Amino acid sequence: MLEQDRKYEANTPQQTWFAKHRFSIIRHAVINLFMLIILLPLSWVLILSIKSLPDSMRGQFWPRKFDFTHYSYVFENIKTLGGNMTNSILVTGATVLLTTFFAVLAGYALVHLKPWGKTFVFTILLLSLYFPTRVVAIISIYELQDFLGLINVTSGLILPYITLNLAISVLIMRSVFQLVPHEVIESARLDGASVWGTLWFIGLPLARNGLVVVFIVNFVTAWGEFLLASTLINDQEARTMPVVLAAAQGGMGQWAWPRIAAVYIIVVTPGLIAFSFAQKLFFKGLAEGVVKG
Amino acid sequence: MDRGAEIIIPRSVGTAREPKIRQSISAWIFLIPALTFFVCYQVYPIFRIVWISFTDFEFLSTEPANWIGFGNYIEAYNDPLMWKSMGRAALFTVMFLPGTIIFPLILAILVDRVRHPLLATVYRLILLVPALIPSTLVFVLWKWMYNYQIGPINYMLVEVFNIFTYYNAPQWLGGTNLTLPSIAIMEIWWGLGYHAIFFLAGLASIPRDMLEAARLDGANEWRVFWHITLPRLAPIMMILVVLRFGTSMAVIDEYLIFGGFNRGAPTYTWTVYMYDQAFNIGLWRQGFAAAVGMIGAAVMVFFVAGLVYIFRPRG
Amino acid sequence: MVERNEIELKLQEANRRQLLQGKIDRREFLSRSMVAGLGLAGVGVASKYGVGPAYAAEGRPLTPTFYDWIEGLHPGIPGVNERFPGINYQIAPVQGFGIERFVAESKKSDSTWDVYVGQTPFVEMTSLIEADVIEPWDNYIPADVIDDIIPSIREECSVNGKLYNWPFLLDVVGMGWHSGVTNKAGLVDSAPATWDEFLDGANTIKESGAAPFGATFDAHGWRSVAPLAHSRSSDVYTPEGLFDFTSDAAVEALVLMKKIMQTSNPDILLSGASDGGVNGTPDEVAFSTQRVGYYVKYFNAPLRMAQYWDDPKQLHMGPLPKFSGGEGSTVFWTTGCALFKHGQNKEKAAEYIKSLTYDRQIWKDSIAGTETAHVGQLPPYSSIYKEWGETKPDWMLPFVGLVRGQLDRAKAIDNHLFGLSQFQIGQPFWEAFLKGEESDPRVAMQNVTDAVRAEMNRG
Repeated sequence: MLEQDRKYEANTPQQTWFAKHRFSIIRHAVINLFMLIILLPLSWVLILSIKSLPDSMRGQFWPRKFDFTHYSYVFENIKTLGGNMTNSILVTGATVLLTTFFAVLAGYALVHLKPWGKTFVFTILLLSLYFPTRVVAIISIYELQDFLGLINVTSGLILPYITLNLAISVLIMRSVFQLVPHEVIESARLDGASVWGTLWFIGLPLARNGLVVVFIVNFVTAWGEFLLASTLINDQEARTMPVVLAAAQGGMGQWAWPRIAAVYIIVVTPGLIAFSFAQKLFFKGLAEGVVKG
Repeated sequence: MDRGAEIIIPRSVGTAREPKIRQSISAWIFLIPALTFFVCYQVYPIFRIVWISFTDFEFLSTEPANWIGFGNYIEAYNDPLMWKSMGRAALFTVMFLPGTIIFPLILAILVDRVRHPLLATVYRLILLVPALIPSTLVFVLWKWMYNYQIGPINYMLVEVFNIFTYYNAPQWLGGTNLTLPSIAIMEIWWGLGYHAIFFLAGLASIPRDMLEAARLDGANEWRVFWHITLPRLAPIMMILVVLRFGTSMAVIDEYLIFGGFNRGAPTYTWTVYMYDQAFNIGLWRQGFAAAVGMIGAAVMVFFVAGLVYIFRPRG
Repeated sequence: MVERNEIELKLQEANRRQLLQGKIDRREFLSRSMVAGLGLAGVGVASKYGVGPAYAAEGRPLTPTFYDWIEGLHPGIPGVNERFPGINYQIAPVQGFGIERFVAESKKSDSTWDVYVGQTPFVEMTSLIEADVIEPWDNYIPADVIDDIIPSIREECSVNGKLYNWPFLLDVVGMGWHSGVTNKAGLVDSAPATWDEFLDGANTIKESGAAPFGATFDAHGWRSVAPLAHSRSSDVYTPEGLFDFTSDAAVEALVLMKKIMQTSNPDILLSGASDGGVNGTPDEVAFSTQRVGYYVKYFNAPLRMAQYWDDPKQLHMGPLPKFSGGEGSTVFWTTGCALFKHGQNKEKAAEYIKSLTYDRQIWKDSIAGTETAHVGQLPPYSSIYKEWGETKPDWMLPFVGLVRGQLDRAKAIDNHLFGLSQFQIGQPFWEAFLKGEESDPRVAMQNVTDAVRAEMNRG
């Protein structure tokens, strides 16, 4: 562990263990403080999900009485939960893959293929981030989806979802491809590789880190999207998780706090498991570094 | 080995060696999928707003809309609430933006240097946990956290540390002066890990040899950070600043949830004003709301141009 | 030949509807259209492709859509649906979205749904009428049902003599108290008759330390300013139907609110919560955490909050106190059903809503409570109360008689396009008085009226 530190401090062997490792200790202390800040609110939710109703309305962290029935309650009361979860996973997955694919193509083209009008395209993408599309976008999108016959079609959500972060994804890929030396691309082209081949075998591996970011940006938005999903889908079983859960938000009646907390845990867990599995793929690129030589 | 140095060389060498037109066509083929979606779901709605903003369109009215030129713009320009609410959004941005860049940056630099594979993975996983929570549930969580009477924060302040009583404890959400900072903290928490991942991606693209070479040359950590790490992170940082500037000026769901439509509350920003006019009040004057939105967009674009200029690629 | 063309048109129309509803995809739509267009042996072939039944059933089954909280609070609804085989029961896309989807569809003379359950007259009914989305029930509702609706409710739900809201769930504003707290404070276990008694009691609770806070209310104007004003006089509306904030009753209500606030939870004005600030308000938290003795709100709130108590039986409810010499009225509203102008199955919808609103299981669950919910929302029909009066069910609770009695004195907030938003626009201005930024309540209320007026004069 921490070879790097050892390398720098090896020239002072007379130092105590503590002095030798003090940077490392401070660093880990600070990191863990941040981790604690991230995890504390969530652990509070976890505890809340197993509190009895009266205890949930007291400030104490540790309940007087545990109540583990909230989870079964959620599944019994939202009968479509499994299906909604599947919908969310499919829609999110497709959105993330397609957006990333489109963003890679566009970002690569903007930087390394230098099309006519690239500054214009870049400017329009950037500007679009600041337009208050929310005012009427929902109505426009509704009309568009209606025209395409995609109202109440779960997979139809993928189309508007792709656009939610498309501009920012293209911009991210653009700035990542800017970090890839132009000469590398040029020499590959000179060696006779096709445009696709160059992108796939040369450009993409070098832009892995950007892919991770684009992946995450799109995952976060699509996984939590509420407004479009609620507007464009009519049937409860065709809806995605956030819409079904929104009903629980207000804490009305049956949706007492601990039960909402149970919903919470149910929503976060699959994502967490998915990321644990995907992390190898994700972070390998990060840890190794792109241009490590 | 010295590819790091190559990267800093300006890309002036890249001249087209095939007919420009052909390259341009293949480039546009690459752009078409993204642009098709972009035009349908982004540009079309924007044009619609622009058009609506010049009419007296009311969504609930069954009368046809009339072209009224700059009428809505003049009304919005002369509306004190417009500028007051714009100021509130700017205030929030000032509270939120620095924190949401600096904390993840520090965190990323620290985590980047963790070499233990298991720890490095666990840290990165934890960073992503808040990002897995749908936004509506993030708001629910912090509504609980900040609850005046039974939220854990006030519980700690009152029952554990006895700093306050239940008669004078801080009132976080719901439209007090503490509400904007409270929302800023929530947003910073939400983006902490997520933005750190952005920076980790940027850090990973810095060749280790470059850093080590600098250190061997006797540069201290601060100089290494300032002269090597930071410039290399500039593109990522620009993306984040530009993106977050836009989102923080245009926050709306949080305000609707934590402040409602109370015009006296600091959460009643121009976006809420726009929403209020477009979907809540009277016959839903969407023409006027669109003009409010366009003015907001113009102000934001003005500042973004400045930000882009500050973070422009140098060298 | 003429006949067949008509059939083709109808088939085509049925196809189009199914396509719009997402029941068939575009490819199927095209192939079906071809079949219909070619008129191949007429309906026989078409029905083979599945168009026939859709055509026969007037295009689609009965399609009601509900505001999501209603299903959660009234678990008996699926039981009603079972009596309507083939019903396409849906949850409405109204959260965070309002009525936009309804209006957008109506502009194309279309509606995915036949009936919307979740409309409150003073909140969105006027908007839906203005936008030409809904139509009156009068042609479909049986005459005996109209006569059965309690007159004040019928008035609330009518515009120009037409019934635009078929009432379902009745809410009346009253008060509740926690007898554990009041007993500890040494108060008699009965509802304070006047606001003076109410304030004395609240002070006693706070000073005796029985609970940290004496009394609380919901700061939203339609749940506090309006009902408190009604308890003085319900004649607080302008001829055009706006709430008259400058009336004596409204000003007295505001002064009273400030007095109550002396004993209440300090966060009482922080209505920030989800669902557009409608639920999870600070008063609900204070009451559910057993930190307050008296509670002014519509009756279903104390009932729902008491489920968090160690002993929910300590909840008691009573009418809203009176001002001395006051009228002793209060505010009520119903959540009801809207009939989409461009919907279908209108007769069937009326049959369904009748069945729903008369369903005895729903009312039993609402009053007696179930394992999951105790709402206490009541029926809008005289006959049901009469029936209960004649043979009292063993699950009946005393609050029902109380609420029913209050209803005769209560008045609904007048219907107006600004029915709800006048209270949202005005809130910061009357709160200036409550927070001490403005010392004269009349000036504060004048500011409210001016602000509402200014907003209405726009555009």
